[in-house]
Amino acid sequence: MITSLEMSRRGFLKASGLAAGGLVLAFQLPLIVRQARGASPSGGTLNAFLTLDPEGRVTFFSPFIEGGQGVYTALPQIIADELDVAFETISVEQAPAGEAYKIMFGGTQRFTGGSMSVRSSYTAMRQAGAAARQMLLQAAADRWEVPIGELDTQPGRVVHAASERSIGYGELAEAAGALEPPTDPPLKDPSRFRYIGKPIQRNDSTAKANGSAQFAIDVRLPNMAYAAVKQSPVLGGDVASMDEAAIADRPGVISVERLPGAVAVIADTYWHAQSALDALPVEFENAAAAGLNSEQLAEEMQGRVDEAGMTAESHGDVEAAFLDAERVIEAVYQMPFLAHATMEPMNATADVTAERCEAWVPNQGVDVVVQQIAEITGLSADNITVHTPYIGGFYGRRFITDYGQQAVRLSKAAGRPVQLIWSREQDTQHDYFRPMVTLKHRAAIDAEGKVSGWHVTVVGDGPFKRLMPQFMQDGIDSSALEGVTEQPYTIANRRVDWVSHDYPVKIGFWRSVGHSYNGYVTESFIDEMAEATATDPLEFRRQLLGEAPRYLNVLDSVAEMAGYQPSVQEENGRRSAYGIALHLSFGSIVGEVAKVSIEEGRPRVHKVWCAVDCGSMVNPDTIEAQIQSGISTGLSQTLLEEITIENGEVVQKNFDTYRFLPPSLMPDVEVQIIESGAEMGGIGEVGTPPVAPAVASAVYKLTGQRIRRLPMARHDLTASA
Amino acid sequence: MMVTLTVNGTQHSLDTEPDTPLLWVLRDQLNLTGTKYGCGIAQCGACTVHVGGQAMRSCVTPLSAVQNQEVITIEGLSDDGLSHPLQVAWREIDVPQCGYCQSGQIMAAAALLASNPNPTEEDIASSVNNLCRCGTYLRINKAILQAAEARGQHKNQTQGEAS
Repeated sequence: MITSLEMSRRGFLKASGLAAGGLVLAFQLPLIVRQARGASPSGGTLNAFLTLDPEGRVTFFSPFIEGGQGVYTALPQIIADELDVAFETISVEQAPAGEAYKIMFGGTQRFTGGSMSVRSSYTAMRQAGAAARQMLLQAAADRWEVPIGELDTQPGRVVHAASERSIGYGELAEAAGALEPPTDPPLKDPSRFRYIGKPIQRNDSTAKANGSAQFAIDVRLPNMAYAAVKQSPVLGGDVASMDEAAIADRPGVISVERLPGAVAVIADTYWHAQSALDALPVEFENAAAAGLNSEQLAEEMQGRVDEAGMTAESHGDVEAAFLDAERVIEAVYQMPFLAHATMEPMNATADVTAERCEAWVPNQGVDVVVQQIAEITGLSADNITVHTPYIGGFYGRRFITDYGQQAVRLSKAAGRPVQLIWSREQDTQHDYFRPMVTLKHRAAIDAEGKVSGWHVTVVGDGPFKRLMPQFMQDGIDSSALEGVTEQPYTIANRRVDWVSHDYPVKIGFWRSVGHSYNGYVTESFIDEMAEATATDPLEFRRQLLGEAPRYLNVLDSVAEMAGYQPSVQEENGRRSAYGIALHLSFGSIVGEVAKVSIEEGRPRVHKVWCAVDCGSMVNPDTIEAQIQSGISTGLSQTLLEEITIENGEVVQKNFDTYRFLPPSLMPDVEVQIIESGAEMGGIGEVGTPPVAPAVASAVYKLTGQRIRRLPMARHDLTASA
Repeated sequence: MMVTLTVNGTQHSLDTEPDTPLLWVLRDQLNLTGTKYGCGIAQCGACTVHVGGQAMRSCVTPLSAVQNQEVITIEGLSDDGLSHPLQVAWREIDVPQCGYCQSGQIMAAAALLASNPNPTEEDIASSVNNLCRCGTYLRINKAILQAAEARGQHKNQTQGEAS
């Protein structure tokens, strides 16, 4: 199976003329050691990722950001195992920009996303830890003048059993740091892992439970001013006029600045900046989205579902299957724009001088941020430092750092450090939304009552076409199609077509990207096929998974753990039903069962069971937390979330109208991890896609209503319940 | 206008517009950045602090409303930042993910436990309704129940020693 990022890698390799390797995200050690960090004054730099001080404390420089997904815990677990130190002795810092930390896709890329951090760096982290251990062994061998083969390690120490000597890593740090790193260090036998695969506790819970965890919004610098920004309410407009004089006398106001498509007020406190901005008369013009209505856009897109489009995937002869069909079923699904609604709003702090720039920009890819700052300031990359503290949620939003560019421009204009904070209203309206997409699925049923053909047309662009066109493949945007292509079900004749549809609304990567809608629509239509062939949804899937044993195992596992029942249940006068769904994304196969009832016309999800085959794992407790998290996001988009646009303006501006899952709607979650031994899969996003189809399947059993448009808040299920 | 208030036991007199939300006074003037801005309209609870022992959403609480009041922020919840039963439970259960909403979650939960030492799940649901985009809700509930239990045991032990 191929996920979007694995496909994007192929696209990248093709674009850059490099030979494509295997699916294993290969890592070459020389890439990480070729640019070692400056050694600490007394201690050693073992490679780009690790330094060791004389007291034996290890600092790990993480190429991935920590935004809740637990990577600052998982990666040190791997390091601790191979380096042979206690997990607690490792502290984590965010690695700076630079070639040394581009460890993805054969040493060409570094970003946090695509549920890739652990799986893409697992081998690299093991090698980094093992190489450092090897250097410490060599340093001890040199010091004691004994063959390295006689030495072993205990946590934090090198031991020479024959002479009963041992020495702490810290004492060897400087000598080890002067050695040439080995290129092929021996790795530990997995049977001896002490940390990998274990539920090691997070190393950031204390700081996040006492307010000391530092986010970019918490940066405080001497002489720092604060800025608030207002972008064109009608999307894509520019400033036509404003009356700066009207706010000149307001308390704390320092200046009013124009930015591309926006105006900003700089003041001594954020409140002074924001309240002055609210009082600033400003007119916008030339909005790209003038007159745009999302409802009308949806209708336009629905009008294109029968166009030929471009074929992204084709098996067998779909046309013949439909010509020979006894019956044909078809359905059109409509998916809305969605906001990221990270709890920490977009913000950035920049300190630009004539010689250098230091900036704190929450991001999912630091090298791009440096490049953008270089373009804005004219400074060379060597004179630009970008910090990435803890991030208050990213979910794909922080690939695009428009707010970082604004902060840099503002600091440059003001000649002092500036912290820019987007109000929640700015954050919601000017998000890069999950795309609006329309999908049509058709199935041909033959004379024997079997599904003989399956044809899908996806109308709408994905984020690749807009933001990373280098990842398009033969003109096709895989980020719009992931999750409907590469299906495990044995249906001989099937085809997926794509109709590009552009609109003047910014779109981006939202948790699980194309899978967020294709998971829903594909699995819901599988249910529709099951109904057309008079088969229970679970049984129907089982029948079509004969060639996909890994999927079948996940499906059976989740059905068993949930005690899945095909029919509606009656308990104490309450009707409830089980819905099931199965989906592969980011390298992991996930099955989910939702137990649902209808309360006051709305679906009430009581529990979600989840079986996840991620191949192998590093931290089962993190996996449980991420699956709970992914399910909350999946249920949130199922029930509540939608961005609508009227006359070019986003209607939902804050959490009172852009509603996402509150605690009262969080179901119980039970997770089963399956280590099938397949290649390690992702975790951060994979819980999200199967929620909506599982809930919708149960809702159909309860109400007879096939929900083809999310969120379910659009539908009153009272009458049919 | 000068406004006087006590924050985490320290008295401050501030020459600030009285309609300034307490949130921004805490963050920008007193450098107490553990209290977070999420929405500005009292929807999410990331800005929750205690005023006179009650949970309040500081983003809509004007400075004038806390004149001569005792304000406690996450930084002042325990002396060492570690030992409040909720902080212990949060750490043991590994509640936080991104962590941005967690100060507010803990402050909301602490106000609940102060008035209701033995809350049911329904009590928690009705008084700790802060939003979390990471969906840490299940672990939040678990941690509040565990903290309540730990406090109860601690009290029983103390009473036992006294008698």
